Amino acid sequence: MVTMTLSDLTSLELIDIELQGSTKEQVIDELIGKLDRAGVIESARKFKKAIIKREKESSTAIGFSIAIPHGKSKAVIKPAVAFGLQKNGVDWDSLDGTPAKLIFMIAVPEESAGNEHLKILQMLARKLMDETFREQLLAVQTKEEAYNLLQTIG
Amino acid sequence: MKLLAITSCPNGIAHTYMAAENLQKAAQKLGVEMKVETQGSIGVENELTEQEIREADGIIIAADKTVDKSRFVGKRLIEVGVQEGIRHPEKLIQQFIDGTVPVYKSNLKSVEEYKKEMKSKQNPIYRHLMNGVSYMIPFVVVGGLLIALSLAIGGDPTGEGLQVKSEFWNAVLSVGSVGFTFMVPILAGFIAMSIADRPGLAPGMIGGYIAANGSFYHSEAGAGFLGGIVAGFIAGYVAKWLKSWNVPKMIQPIMPILVIPILSTFVVAALFIYVIGQPISSMMSGLTHLLNNMQGTSSIALALILGAMIAFDMGGPVNKVAFLFGATMIGEGNVYIMGAIAAAICIPPLGMGVATLLNKKKYEKEEQEAGKAALAMGLVGITEGAIPFAAKDPLRVIPSIMVGSMVGAAIAMVSKVGDHVPHGGPVVAVLGAVDNWIMFFMAIVIGVMVTALMVNMLKKDVQ
Repeated sequence: MVTMTLSDLTSLELIDIELQGSTKEQVIDELIGKLDRAGVIESARKFKKAIIKREKESSTAIGFSIAIPHGKSKAVIKPAVAFGLQKNGVDWDSLDGTPAKLIFMIAVPEESAGNEHLKILQMLARKLMDETFREQLLAVQTKEEAYNLLQTIG
Repeated sequence: MKLLAITSCPNGIAHTYMAAENLQKAAQKLGVEMKVETQGSIGVENELTEQEIREADGIIIAADKTVDKSRFVGKRLIEVGVQEGIRHPEKLIQQFIDGTVPVYKSNLKSVEEYKKEMKSKQNPIYRHLMNGVSYMIPFVVVGGLLIALSLAIGGDPTGEGLQVKSEFWNAVLSVGSVGFTFMVPILAGFIAMSIADRPGLAPGMIGGYIAANGSFYHSEAGAGFLGGIVAGFIAGYVAKWLKSWNVPKMIQPIMPILVIPILSTFVVAALFIYVIGQPISSMMSGLTHLLNNMQGTSSIALALILGAMIAFDMGGPVNKVAFLFGATMIGEGNVYIMGAIAAAICIPPLGMGVATLLNKKKYEKEEQEAGKAALAMGLVGITEGAIPFAAKDPLRVIPSIMVGSMVGAAIAMVSKVGDHVPHGGPVVAVLGAVDNWIMFFMAIVIGVMVTALMVNMLKKDVQ
């Protein structure tokens, strides 16, 4: 039985519906900054390395306006998801050439007890394939609205 | 219609499930039954059962990680990246509806895959060497056999070595020499290509050519096949390093055809011309000096040193010094030194040829073929016949051929074998230029056996 929901992995301080960055790198730095300030990661530098390494294998922007930069690293203290909205879109080297607007940064520790958080993340990934859900997310006006939408997952 | 799918991605956090979700949605839309096994961080979920596989009309693998396909022998199977599963699930399913998906035949493929896997687990240095050697072998065989043929049939012993007077055989000799000219560049080129893919080929081949031609760096002799190996690795790793540079998008398209080859060529050429050339020249004059000083001292010690030098780099600078020393001594009336060298010259190729005959398990198929060609080259005194073996496995082969040549040279020296022609191998005796030919052959046979037994003792079986 799943007792967790996505609200256990994210929080208002990890959500930003008005990302300032206009490039992939800037947005990555912005979201890492949020995770760092929230005490999710112990080293922003090490975590960024994991994120960049994964992006180099292949872009995590798979179209549908979504990018999910994710890193599995020892620098991660507890699993978390940061969400950012960049309404103008960011060039994320996506496969279909479209810019990313919904950016989910996922931080997963190298080793952790239990894998409930992985189940939640799995549900997030599946939910993002739902067009209606994406449109709702794109239309949010406040952090709280975004948070409420995200906590329905789980 | 019933379809099955497996999705997987490197981290197994998100893409695996996005692909699974979209494949399921697309299947529903197209009215197809679909079950998706996800191989993610959590582990395998929704695992396909044997019965499901048996009853399925086809399998879709959308993965960026290796998925074991042995379960799907005889099933229609599509294998794509995980992105395809996310972005074009309907297209994938449509292919099954259209019936255009081929049946997966395991055995052949999985053996190949297994071999590939084995290869990737091998020591990379060894893998690169092997790639270079396998491309070099045809050049050694074609060049060596043509030279051998022309010398054996058209050769005439003179003070300048074996001369080929007949116009026809001279042409054959020239063609063979062309094959030999390509030997080191091809070796170096394909070592570099194995390291850095196509951008490495040109710098490797050009570097190899420079390594093999001393005239580039004012040296009497080139750096031989050992120099070629060095050139190949330098060119390859420089090119690989350049490939890892992050360059502006504008320049990216011209990197692999222009920037990387030119810069790598420049580095490897400069290294040989300005750095490696001088030490080779000084090493050669040092060795010549050493040999000149050894005259009058122990002739056995001299024979041992000459034998070792002849075998060490087979046509490289060390070999050349020993050979030129022997040739000069003939001019001064001492034919015994060349006698010892003549025996040493043919022992590496004959020894390796015999070794491949004695124990086939230690040599791959192409090496066994190279072994036969090496025998022919050995008979006419072409030491280079052993290069493919030495280049592939230098640490085991070079000591073995050195010891064999040392033994052969010493026996020839002690039993006063004389050679009046600056050339080696049984062919000189057959053409009547060798004194005490019985001991000449004895020296060769013993040296060959020493090399063959030693190298087979050192080498492991090929898997």
